[in-house]
Amino acid sequence: MATSLETPKPKARKPKPQLDPDLCKGCLRCIDSCNHHCLVPGHDIDPRTGLIPIELHLEACTACGLCFDACPEPYGLRPERLEEIPTGQPEFERPTDADHLKRPPRPKPVDIPDVLRELPLGATLVLKGNHASAIGALLAGCRHFYGYPITPSTEGAELLAKLLPKLNGIFLQAVSEVATVNLMYGTAGAGLRTMTFTSSPGFSLMLEGVSYMIGAELPAVFVNVMRGGPGLGNIAPEQADIKLACRGLGHGNTHAIVFAPSTPQEMLDLTRQAFELAFQYRNPVVLLADGYLGQMTGRVELPKALVQPGLPKWAVAGDAAHRDNLISSIFLAEADLEAHNRHLDDKYARMAREARAESWQCEDAEVVIVACNTPARMARGAVAELRQRGVKAGLFRPITLWPFPIDALAEALSGASRLVVVEASAGQLEDELRLAASHAGLALPPLAAVRHSGGVLPQQDEIVAGALAALAREVTAPTASKSADPCDCSDPECGCGDEE
Amino acid sequence: MNCQPKDFKSDLKPIWCPGCGDFGVVQAIYRALAAVGRLPHDIAFVSGIGCSSRIPGYTTAYGFNSVHGRALPIAQGLKIANPDLLVLVAGGDGDGFSIGGGHVAHAIRRNIDLTYIVMDNQIYGLTKGQLSPTSKQGLQTVTSSLGSLEQPVNPLLYVLSYGAPFVAQGTPADMAGLAAVIEEAIRFPGFSFVNVQSPCVTFGEDDWQLKQHKAVMKSLQSLGHDPADVIAAMRLAQGYGHELHTGVFYRAPQPPPTYDALVRARQQEQAGKALPRERVLELFAAKKKETAA
Repeated sequence: MATSLETPKPKARKPKPQLDPDLCKGCLRCIDSCNHHCLVPGHDIDPRTGLIPIELHLEACTACGLCFDACPEPYGLRPERLEEIPTGQPEFERPTDADHLKRPPRPKPVDIPDVLRELPLGATLVLKGNHASAIGALLAGCRHFYGYPITPSTEGAELLAKLLPKLNGIFLQAVSEVATVNLMYGTAGAGLRTMTFTSSPGFSLMLEGVSYMIGAELPAVFVNVMRGGPGLGNIAPEQADIKLACRGLGHGNTHAIVFAPSTPQEMLDLTRQAFELAFQYRNPVVLLADGYLGQMTGRVELPKALVQPGLPKWAVAGDAAHRDNLISSIFLAEADLEAHNRHLDDKYARMAREARAESWQCEDAEVVIVACNTPARMARGAVAELRQRGVKAGLFRPITLWPFPIDALAEALSGASRLVVVEASAGQLEDELRLAASHAGLALPPLAAVRHSGGVLPQQDEIVAGALAALAREVTAPTASKSADPCDCSDPECGCGDEE
Repeated sequence: MNCQPKDFKSDLKPIWCPGCGDFGVVQAIYRALAAVGRLPHDIAFVSGIGCSSRIPGYTTAYGFNSVHGRALPIAQGLKIANPDLLVLVAGGDGDGFSIGGGHVAHAIRRNIDLTYIVMDNQIYGLTKGQLSPTSKQGLQTVTSSLGSLEQPVNPLLYVLSYGAPFVAQGTPADMAGLAAVIEEAIRFPGFSFVNVQSPCVTFGEDDWQLKQHKAVMKSLQSLGHDPADVIAAMRLAQGYGHELHTGVFYRAPQPPPTYDALVRARQQEQAGKALPRERVLELFAAKKKETAA
């Protein structure tokens, strides 16, 4: 046959490996594959990649090709080009050289500020606390609501379910509180205002997500209309989640501003402010209401302006300008995470200036009654009654529970010889107060408590009786000094550590 | 001693709305339990949260009113801890297919011998009328002013597709039939699921109450359905939402081994391979002597 007579073609030379050092991550898999020790670990750090590429010594190379297969990098170790590839026929291109992959210069993200739009002065409204809070959210520019029905908070969600579709907003009933908080995580990541209404057991379920949102520095508002616990408890009012909101917002180094409204008006105003602060600090804000306050109707004046929200520059907003933004709470390197926690700590320290409180008739008060939420309403009545009876009583009402308004408390206590903490929990408010006083080095006067739980609220006559009993009680320990300086003696007999 | 249905009735008076379908369900459960012949103290009844989850309190069995959506994991823990108990799980459609939806699939995969009774009323009754995962599309509720935009979950198809070995449906409109499927579900060795169409008189739809159930319900037996045929069961389950089939959709002809049975089998297998305790101690003693020397 003719073909067999032709001189055999010279065998094509097999290609040896070639490597662009920029694209080698130094994984060393090729070295394991080479039987002739042609490949060795490198010594020098590539200045462009920060990695150490391998080195090739191809004297002994048989072009077996095993190293090509071993290399996991698509543009890494590959056959050398034996002949020039004709132009116009692109082979594999280095991604960095490909024009279509080169990033065009893109605009820098900028903060788009909120705009305040004046509201026509309307009539005074009479609203349920839950409804007032929902309206506060709408006026703050919140158009994304996620929630799961739970008594006694659901009315807020129900009102938003009616109104949001008319305002081009989104109301979504999630499949659970776990889903709710993660829906909020996503919306907050897009730089939008989002909130939920929930009640104690539901809030417990959300805490994992709250911790993630704090870690990733995302704003959101959680309205927790507290009910009786622990466990399923009941649907009656309790201040059961003060500790949870102030000290236990999920795992890790977590804090958030915690508001404690006590009127429907405050439900509206504080919800509105909660959004402002959430975005100012890039941190969730918790509004702790209680079952009574959520259901209670009261007079509510609308604010003078509503907020047309802007867009913060950190948002993952889905356009060219925001493309470099990353929302994440993961910092694998220990030092990075510590630095992040330091940054969060600085932020928490800055939040101290948001501490708010109301002092009523405390100027000359001998006995100061501390209460928040619905119990503060009974406490106010008790103060009025005590004043009528000629007892110099005052009401101190913390409006933020974290940060605790300790400076305002110190001022309110300036003339007081007794302190009565009134609460619908087994001492959670008192614990916050004592902790804040201890950190601030504020010596407290002898302290009495009027407490109820399980949905029973402290009544005015009990508070009056509690205050009178506290005043009548003889103080065995030395009268606590009102100075801001703590007694730092080491005398065990001094009693400077005892408040009662 | 043989128990009568009344022996399973507790002294608590149900506080469901008058006319609630759940009254019928609890009656059917009394009958089924009496027919099965276990004593009240041999039975544990676990529920989640919701109107229907009040049910354990209305029986004389041990009751566990647990966490919203978590009745199945709790019941599994209970059954694993005490395999001799007959464990019933009850809850609503929200408990089972919304907040607890993730647990259903894994309870089925694990095939622990439980009977899961879902009282499906297509609405959230306890929190006063919000959307539920089985609410039909377009349903207007206090949380869906635009009408429900989401497709309802089909509980029957859901559990069938995860491989539940026993799937049935009933309605209190047919008490005898309901008691019979619950009894059969309890007797089934392995995970069994009963979807009960139990209408909500207060927040449910007016045209889907017991009266309508009675008019439209069709027993699968009368349709000539073979409960061993899983494909036919899936085809029939597609009717959920517009038809009301009662009876057993699917009963695995050869019930797969339960989790408990598998654990015991593996343990026995391992037991043969392990050294007896005395031998292990001997080896330890020898080693100790060696190191001391």
